[in-house]
Amino acid sequence: MRFLLRFAWRDLRSGSRSLWVFSGCLMLGVALVAAGGGLFRQVAGGLLAESRALFGGDLEVRSGEPLRPAELSWMRARGEVSLLMEFRTMLRTSSGQTHLVELQSFDERYPLYGEVSLRPASSLREALALRDGSWGVALDPVLAQRLGLAPGDSVQLGALTAAVRARIERQPDRSLRADWAGLPVLIAGEALPATQLVQPASRISYRYRVKTAEEPGAWRSAFAAAFPDADWEVRTFAERSERLARALRQIGSGLLLIGFSALFIGGLGVFNSVHAYLQGKLGTLATLRTLGLRDRRLAATYVCQILILAGGASLAGALLGGALAIAGAALAAERLPLAPALARLAAPLALAWLFGVLTALAFALPALGRAVSAPPAMLFRGLAAAGLRTPAAYWGWAAVCGVVVVGLVLTSIPDARFGIGFILACALLLALLEGLVRALRTSSRALRDHPLLAGRFALRLALANLNRPGSPLRPALLSLGSALTLLVASTLVVAALLRMLNETVPERAPALVFYDVAPAQLDEFRKLVGGSPSLERLDLAPLVLGRLVQVNAESLRESADVERALESRDEHKLSYRLGNFDNVVLTRGRWWPDEYRGSPLVAMEDREADQLGLKVGDRLRFEILGEPLEAQLVAIYAQRRFEARFWLEGIFSDGALDPFISRYVGAAYLDPGEAIAAQNRIATAAPAIVTVRTEGILAEARALLARAGSGLAVIAAVTLAASLLVLASVVASSRARQVYDASVLHTLGARLAVIRRSLQLEYALLALVTSLFAVAAGTALAGFVMHYRLQLETGDTWWLGAATALVISSSSLGLGAGYVLRRLRLAPAQLLRDGG
Amino acid sequence: MHYTTGAGRVDVLKDVDLDVAPGERVAIAGPSGSGKTTLLLLLAGLERPSAGSVALEGMALERLGPDALADLRRERVGFVFQGFHLVPSLSALDNVALPLEIAGRRDAREKARALLGKVGLAHRLGHLPAQLSGGEQQRVAIARALVHSPRLLLADEPTGNLDDHTGAAVSGLLFDLNAEAGTTLVLVTHNLEMAERCDRVMRLHEGELSELAPPLRAS
Repeated sequence: MRFLLRFAWRDLRSGSRSLWVFSGCLMLGVALVAAGGGLFRQVAGGLLAESRALFGGDLEVRSGEPLRPAELSWMRARGEVSLLMEFRTMLRTSSGQTHLVELQSFDERYPLYGEVSLRPASSLREALALRDGSWGVALDPVLAQRLGLAPGDSVQLGALTAAVRARIERQPDRSLRADWAGLPVLIAGEALPATQLVQPASRISYRYRVKTAEEPGAWRSAFAAAFPDADWEVRTFAERSERLARALRQIGSGLLLIGFSALFIGGLGVFNSVHAYLQGKLGTLATLRTLGLRDRRLAATYVCQILILAGGASLAGALLGGALAIAGAALAAERLPLAPALARLAAPLALAWLFGVLTALAFALPALGRAVSAPPAMLFRGLAAAGLRTPAAYWGWAAVCGVVVVGLVLTSIPDARFGIGFILACALLLALLEGLVRALRTSSRALRDHPLLAGRFALRLALANLNRPGSPLRPALLSLGSALTLLVASTLVVAALLRMLNETVPERAPALVFYDVAPAQLDEFRKLVGGSPSLERLDLAPLVLGRLVQVNAESLRESADVERALESRDEHKLSYRLGNFDNVVLTRGRWWPDEYRGSPLVAMEDREADQLGLKVGDRLRFEILGEPLEAQLVAIYAQRRFEARFWLEGIFSDGALDPFISRYVGAAYLDPGEAIAAQNRIATAAPAIVTVRTEGILAEARALLARAGSGLAVIAAVTLAASLLVLASVVASSRARQVYDASVLHTLGARLAVIRRSLQLEYALLALVTSLFAVAAGTALAGFVMHYRLQLETGDTWWLGAATALVISSSSLGLGAGYVLRRLRLAPAQLLRDGG
Repeated sequence: MHYTTGAGRVDVLKDVDLDVAPGERVAIAGPSGSGKTTLLLLLAGLERPSAGSVALEGMALERLGPDALADLRRERVGFVFQGFHLVPSLSALDNVALPLEIAGRRDAREKARALLGKVGLAHRLGHLPAQLSGGEQQRVAIARALVHSPRLLLADEPTGNLDDHTGAAVSGLLFDLNAEAGTTLVLVTHNLEMAERCDRVMRLHEGELSELAPPLRAS
């Protein structure tokens, strides 16, 4: 055995140059699997381990008004309670810039879990205290960076001028949506009245966090039983964790799938590379067999070589992937409360290594079996390649490795549905490919005698070469085809999103959206907005908050269905239709006529309606400010996801909500260039009105998309690199065949120019077929993602995918053809000298 | 004819003087390394002589460029190799049609089909080389060498890779077709029986060519 190992090692060192593709392909595939898995563990492990801190407590009781003393004492008797008050408002800098922020104030027990750290370092209480006649604030780092604020600057919050004392380095419960919904600004509770922002119309959220030793579900039930008529919502950290875990599982699965795809593509490189390597070793193999080395030991020698290489390349890939995961986690830690932990990397890296070794074996064993089964006599007579077949046992072992890999894919992927989808997609891809190869073969046979091809020798030869046994068509289609499919799909999705952002939204979106306009402010507000010369339209609509308490006389609060009972505590955003100012789409039922003034009618948003099982015709009872409001459900509508601004959950017939109106929302259509000035004007005159600039949101969306686009581009580039490596191995292994064919043809009298043309045509046909395949598969994939996940129209951007596929495939295959043509040293004399 | 290697100059053929008449069949025998293959390469214009001249029907091959040599082989020369050297991506029919296809002949496949029928492979037209036995592959190679009616047929150990029985059958076929077409044949062989069917048998030894005593006629 020692001899075999020694021999395997020496033999490998002497002839391993052709195996760089093997190592490269495997390393890239394993690196992506390790990076995906590692990043998922870092982020998911980090967030879920800290989920209590992220949530702020074991439970949270959320209400639009302070809790009653009896409720508070009940809570305090059963745990530690901390109150966080928050609401959205506008922050103004001394230079007049304004920005939407989430103003948060808290008591001395905040945070119940984790620590807030500030820069410069100080305690939260110290930083926010009244000092030299000024209250202090601590700013989210993203906000500080955007507005160029540093400690020592002053900012305006409503009527209060506060001093910036610190940047928040780490806030354990920073919302994962803070970048969109409002960046946190921390302020002492005692400073709030000085802002004069706490008014009847303002939407303050009172969040009572509870730290308790009791089981949160039981705590909630007991609390609800003790105060059956209360209006608050209670959430547990476990529910939040579960939602977060589900989202993370999906993201992690997506990342891993990309890694598996790259590994699958890399596996083809492994096969080609091992095949080419062993072809060069046929003489050695024959010699060893004639010297009496038994088949099993011969196979063991070369399996050893494959294991040494696969182990080394996979280790390098796993380490590279680990480094990528740490870099990614560090990047994510800038926005998420994450603490990268090396220990969490061990399992995903070990798994990625195992994937690499098993994939290498699954792809290498058939090539190995084919080579070691060659009878020595046949080898010495130089006829080796012709009739060699892989013995069934090698197929069997390769299949075992493949099944283990499939099993590992299914068990290691966080969301099993993604794993099953991936396996099915691979099977479908292979079936499609097989169909395509057969169709090409049949059509090429049919074309052979076609009058169009008569006299076109180079084209006929290129066509014949494309579907010969061992043709590069199959591996090229699989590797380059899969990578291009991914590339086409991501190009189309990103292009559709960009187009949606750049064209559709600005056409329909207002430049400014307003919240929390008090009825008494309406006239002044109209004047403020009217100061913009380019104002085309100003929509104002009441926004009323209410709960749905009864459906067809069945009380939701007393429902045996827990979901329904909980739903009855949720506050819904209700308004009027007012010319469909929020641009919703009716899906069921019918709108009432514009002039309708009868008993109240209501339309509900589809997600709410479906959650509660509502049907058109149901009688609904709402509770608004403690008063009941009965209405008949006559319609159900859907939001235009990317265009929705107010996310109204219920739309009433005119007049029904009049007694309850305490605030308005609005949308102004004007030149985006004037929007900043209008926003600043409103923030100065009416600081309690929250103004969102659509252009700002779009810029944020574009930046996010650009980041996602760059991420996709990097992933596509790595996948493409793996596929180009495979292609290089295909080109390299077909070069010997092409030189041989060309030599025979030249000996028979074909001119060099004709031979070159036939080679160019062969590669051009390959590029064409690969591009067509990628465009069809990529467009279908993008269409699926856009239709079912993003609810986007596919539009007419298919040409963009086609152009991408054509450019990439023709340039990469062009490079391959160029390489072969440069290295095409014809050797007709060799045909006679070799005798075989 | 000589080669220069790292170890010095190797004289492969020395003062070889060979004149082959149209329609004549010449066998060249000799031990390994005696220069038989080099002689064939020179006759086909696949190598250039270090000194002297090779002429085919009065045309000096060393004066022709690569394309003119390729055209000459396409029109006037046929090859049969020991290792068959069929193009693996092409069927038997397409392999045989190759020389005519290269020449742009529209009747290539009809002629190839007819010739494959003659060599007994009418039922194997669509098979790829890998799907044929050694004997069948060599029959395809012979058909390919003769399909364009060359003036000169060069055969290098055509039965060297075949068993005795198959070799005899292939050899018979080669001579029959050659006789039918009246092609000039230069045959390199170790096989005495094949050599004896030729008009002359030459012997190459250490680069020197000499004629053996008139062979016994096969019939």
